[in-house]
Amino acid sequence: MTNTGLRRILQRREFTVFGLILALVILFSLTTERFMSVSNLSNLLLQLAGTAISAIGMTMVIITGGIDVSVGSALGMASVVAGKLLMGGYPPILVLLASLGVGLLIGLFNGMLIAWGNIPPIIATLGMMSILRSLMYQLLGGRWISGIPPAIRIIGLGKWLGIPISMWVTAFLIGFFTYFLSSRPLGRAIYAVGNNPEAARISGIDLRRTTLFVYAVLGALVGFAGLVYVARTGIVQTNTGSGFELEVIAAVVLGGTSILGGRGTVIGSLLGAFLVGIIKNGMVLLNVPALSEGLVIGVLIILSVMIDVIRVRGERI
Amino acid sequence: MKRVLDQIVENRVFFLLVLFVILFAVFAISVQNFFTFYNLTNMTQYGVELGLLALAEMLVILSGGGGIDLSVGSMLTIVAMIIGVLIGRVGLNPSLAIFLGLSAGMGMGYLNGVLVSYTKILPFIVTLASLYVYKSLALIIAVDPRFGPNPMPVSNFPESFYFVGQYRIGGIPFQVLCIFIPVILLLYVLLEKSVFGRYLYGVGSNEKAALFSGINVERVRVTVYTLSGLLSALSGWIITSRIASARPDIGTGYELQAITIAVLGGVSIKGGEGRIGGVVLGIAIITLLYNGMQLAGIHQIWQLGSLGVILVGSVLLNQMLLARRKM
Repeated sequence: MTNTGLRRILQRREFTVFGLILALVILFSLTTERFMSVSNLSNLLLQLAGTAISAIGMTMVIITGGIDVSVGSALGMASVVAGKLLMGGYPPILVLLASLGVGLLIGLFNGMLIAWGNIPPIIATLGMMSILRSLMYQLLGGRWISGIPPAIRIIGLGKWLGIPISMWVTAFLIGFFTYFLSSRPLGRAIYAVGNNPEAARISGIDLRRTTLFVYAVLGALVGFAGLVYVARTGIVQTNTGSGFELEVIAAVVLGGTSILGGRGTVIGSLLGAFLVGIIKNGMVLLNVPALSEGLVIGVLIILSVMIDVIRVRGERI
Repeated sequence: MKRVLDQIVENRVFFLLVLFVILFAVFAISVQNFFTFYNLTNMTQYGVELGLLALAEMLVILSGGGGIDLSVGSMLTIVAMIIGVLIGRVGLNPSLAIFLGLSAGMGMGYLNGVLVSYTKILPFIVTLASLYVYKSLALIIAVDPRFGPNPMPVSNFPESFYFVGQYRIGGIPFQVLCIFIPVILLLYVLLEKSVFGRYLYGVGSNEKAALFSGINVERVRVTVYTLSGLLSALSGWIITSRIASARPDIGTGYELQAITIAVLGGVSIKGGEGRIGGVVLGIAIITLLYNGMQLAGIHQIWQLGSLGVILVGSVLLNQMLLARRKM
């Protein structure tokens, strides 16, 4: 008697990542005293939120077969706008809307270039990445923004039932988008577009609208992540968000989303973000020099994808 | 007019040449000190480092199968650190240190190529991972235990080491005349005149067909990734010599600029399409643009932005003209 339900869970990529996380949690809680402390765990969650929120959007973009390397600059741009408005004393709700709006606009622009301009996603977003970084420098005028008023910092640092508010938002978004991707027509269309665009088009899916949608959602989520970043750290620098794009993509890839499109889940990406976050955190606690962080993350990306390759044999991941 | 537009779509090199001439004319007329022998020769040295990386991306992207190398910036950094540490801290003979550095670059590129070819993991993921790994290794190498646990730059080089990055021959920077131009010529022969070049375009444009006609697809791919490592290593050596310092963060962000230039030069991201002439013009245009903007007093931060505008603009224009012609 074989339990096919259980086997299917065990065979899923998410399970491998979950197993890895569990192993690391056990390792770190045995080898360090501070890992399991409330303050460390909530600190870990705080740092994770921005990556996890952006990874939700990135998952959808990659499922359609696209990629967005401009999210780091977009995060920086949203932080600048949020930071400037906050320093100007504008009400938090307006700042929230403005950050979402900036992100959304960037996403819409990317989506238009890709869907209507027929520019390959990596090229369109590469271009946007450079343009946004220049604009951001210009807005900042070479100075930092610091001393963000405390009222807004509740988004970044506040807690409810001991868990950071930004993590509650992340959990809600993960739940919503899991439902959306598995049960809503537009959600299914995203997978269809990634699997076989031609077939999707013939069955009546609007390719352009679907593409525009995923980039716009990613943009808005990154905009929100930008606000969370400002609220958490209280400063905006000219290089805020640089390298963030690769971190988000790494989380999504680790979580089992195929870079070829058509396959992936937001829960996987959340787990991917956790895996990266826990490694970073644990290494600091173990006093391993932060320098080797990239080494571990890189090796892990290769290993986890290789496990997948061996399992699915033949198909490119 | 229609013939000109057709030419632009058909012939990327022609389009880039027009763009180059226009830019050159605009700068020559409007920017002081631009059209001088000193400036024109001097600016070429700044194109070399990014240019070598763009040529590396060209080779890799041409090979198809999602070919891309995100690790060029990290390979540049690690080679710069290897050379710097071996000369400045270990006290090795510079020639030997440079040889070891270049070999390390080839080794890292080879590793990328093997992973891409034999494990069936996509290049984007392999090189994303190696970007992290090589960058991290560069930081680790840069730690000097005598001065604590932090990565430190190396800058005590013997005078002879600066030859490559700072000397001139007949007014022309050494690295342009003796490294960059020969590299371009060699790659031209490799791509346009050799059997390997034909294999590369074959593999890039139709992997299956190439496989059935007996081309060793894996070997072609391993070769281009190895070359990418070597070109990045050359770039790391030259930059260290020019700025007289090996810094553990020097190559950060270069990968995306290099890809931008390769694509601007007409290399199709899908592989198998693009000419070295286009990429060389792409390098020239970007070098010209950076220099002209700098002389015009436009802040350096706009270099990146204008690169983005040119990239998106040129590809968009190409697509629009293509769509127009199909109608």
